[in-house]
Amino acid sequence: MYVRALPTTDVNRNTEWFTYPGVWTTYIIIIFFSWLLVLSVFHCSPGMAWTIVHLAHFTVTYHSFHWKKGTPFGDDQGIYNRLTWWEQIDNGKQLTRNRKFLTVVPIVLYLIASHTTDYQHPMLFLNTLAVFVMVVMKFPHMHKVRIFGINGDQ
Amino acid sequence: MITIPYLTAVSTYFSYGLLFAFGQLRDYSRRIFDWWSTNNLHGYAPICLAHEDFYIRRLYHRIQDCFGRPISSAPDAWVDVVERFSNDNNKTLKRTTKSTRCLNLGSYNYLGFGSYDEYCTPLVIDSLKKFSPSTCSSRVDAGTTSVHAELEECVAKYVGKPAAIVTGMGYATNSAIIPVLIGKVCFCCYLSCGDVTPKTYVLQGGLIISDSLNHTSIVNGARGSGATIRVFQHNTPAHLERVLKEQIAEGQPRTHRPWKKIMVVVEGIYSMEGEICQLPEIVSICKKYKAYVYLDEAHSIGAIGKTGRGVCELLGVDTADVDIMMGTFTKSFGSCGGYIAGSKDLIQYLKYQCPAHLYATSISTPSAQQIISAVKVILGEDGSNRGAQKLARIRENSNFFRAELQKMGFEVLGDNDSPVMPIMLYNPAKIPAFSRECLRENVAVVVVGFPATPLLLARARICISASHSREDLIKALQVISKAGDLTGIKYFPAAPKKQEEVKDTIKLD
Repeated sequence: MYVRALPTTDVNRNTEWFTYPGVWTTYIIIIFFSWLLVLSVFHCSPGMAWTIVHLAHFTVTYHSFHWKKGTPFGDDQGIYNRLTWWEQIDNGKQLTRNRKFLTVVPIVLYLIASHTTDYQHPMLFLNTLAVFVMVVMKFPHMHKVRIFGINGDQ
Repeated sequence: MITIPYLTAVSTYFSYGLLFAFGQLRDYSRRIFDWWSTNNLHGYAPICLAHEDFYIRRLYHRIQDCFGRPISSAPDAWVDVVERFSNDNNKTLKRTTKSTRCLNLGSYNYLGFGSYDEYCTPLVIDSLKKFSPSTCSSRVDAGTTSVHAELEECVAKYVGKPAAIVTGMGYATNSAIIPVLIGKVCFCCYLSCGDVTPKTYVLQGGLIISDSLNHTSIVNGARGSGATIRVFQHNTPAHLERVLKEQIAEGQPRTHRPWKKIMVVVEGIYSMEGEICQLPEIVSICKKYKAYVYLDEAHSIGAIGKTGRGVCELLGVDTADVDIMMGTFTKSFGSCGGYIAGSKDLIQYLKYQCPAHLYATSISTPSAQQIISAVKVILGEDGSNRGAQKLARIRENSNFFRAELQKMGFEVLGDNDSPVMPIMLYNPAKIPAFSRECLRENVAVVVVGFPATPLLLARARICISASHSREDLIKALQVISKAGDLTGIKYFPAAPKKQEEVKDTIKLD
């Protein structure tokens, strides 16, 4: 089964890969397989596994989307050095399809995690905190905002 | 248009995710390790930002032996590749004194001028003895010899424009000329009739519209110019028209005043795709909206077209419609340097303003002589028809090779007649696998990955030369087919071989 890869107009090589076909599917498959991995390693209940996956997903995406700034290669002479990956996607345009997808995934993970743990504490508290921070960070109003100078430039 | 199998796309993303994850883990452990160990660099600033180096340290260095292979002979159809070994898992590579003779599928040696040529080389050696290797000066000081003047005339005549200017380096041609032609502020000198004094007007606002897959030299020149840059979808004239319409309607970014100068930058053959630009449509759109056309013919000059005059000749575009034609001599002419060809006024202006002309050392005189002799061979002015033979051979070779690769089931990009053919690899593990397997069979190919290409679309780029014989190409096809089977890159079904007719031998009594 073949897909066509149309060339994009995004010159930023760091974010251009997200516009090609197959990314969303890969993302969802990775999350699902990490749930299976956590289940097999920790021998916990499915709900606990979803909670672990949700919190790990929060940590990984917080670090790679909203903390690391710039690009992992030096070819672009550092013009994106003040922008996090989330701010670089789609050339800074807000509310595109990619951004909406990436906002929905943590919310869906939260719903699955809370449902499978039957809304018990302390998992519910941790999950809610994680999803709250995650979604607030992705608001259009938070574009290039650094609260209290956290992650600001030197 | 690239067609990827869906499973390959998913597995490629997964592989890159795994590689990045392991790279991050290694970085963390390295940071913890370094925190414990002492170092005497207290107070020194870091040489480069840690994250900028990440791709090179954690991904590129792992397969470093596939890139930057040193050669120890002229880049002809066969080349001596120096063998290297590494004791620390490819972090550093050491050269040995041995070299292997490999079939050269990586050099841009389109017309075979990359090694000894019976007409060009004696003339170059004479020029070397007469003029010495370097002119030791910039063009305006003492660096213009008779050979330089002859070269500029020769190039202008060959390309089909009134005048040309030549610089010593192809990359620098783009990055030094584009800022001179257009910028945030455009200078314009008017001479009103009856008045002797020229009036200089300073006009705000240049716009560069460049193809999304343009070469880094163009991107650097455009960024250095300070003009606003907009990108249109690769080789899609419809999208170019939409971008032009939008930009002209909106005007400059904050003031919404009309643009003072709009320049559309395209390339003749795109070196990573092997595609030929859709020049007639783009030129007609630019004429309609009154934008200038800048054509970078680095790979197409000398390689395509009936007399090798490039993409304008191939597609039947009048050279007077293309405002600025740029090219390099490194690909088809076996030399170094680049040129810009345009109207006499344009070249005169560039000679007064362009820093590559005013301050950079001029092109070395023997190299200039090589270009002049190569052009003479191509046009048949040396008395033989070797030029026409070379052009015919490169076209035949390219079409034969591309057709055979496609029949074997590889995904090959590029148009017919283009001597550049990328074979898609996609997965990051296939990049070193294909490269090393081919080298083991004595075929030297160039593989390209991120960030020169998009993340998903790693490829092996094959450049066909006129000096490849049919046997060379058949050997290359066999080796590539074997390597392709081992690495699993035959993404399309192979064309069925023609079955020999078996006569029915049933006799009916």
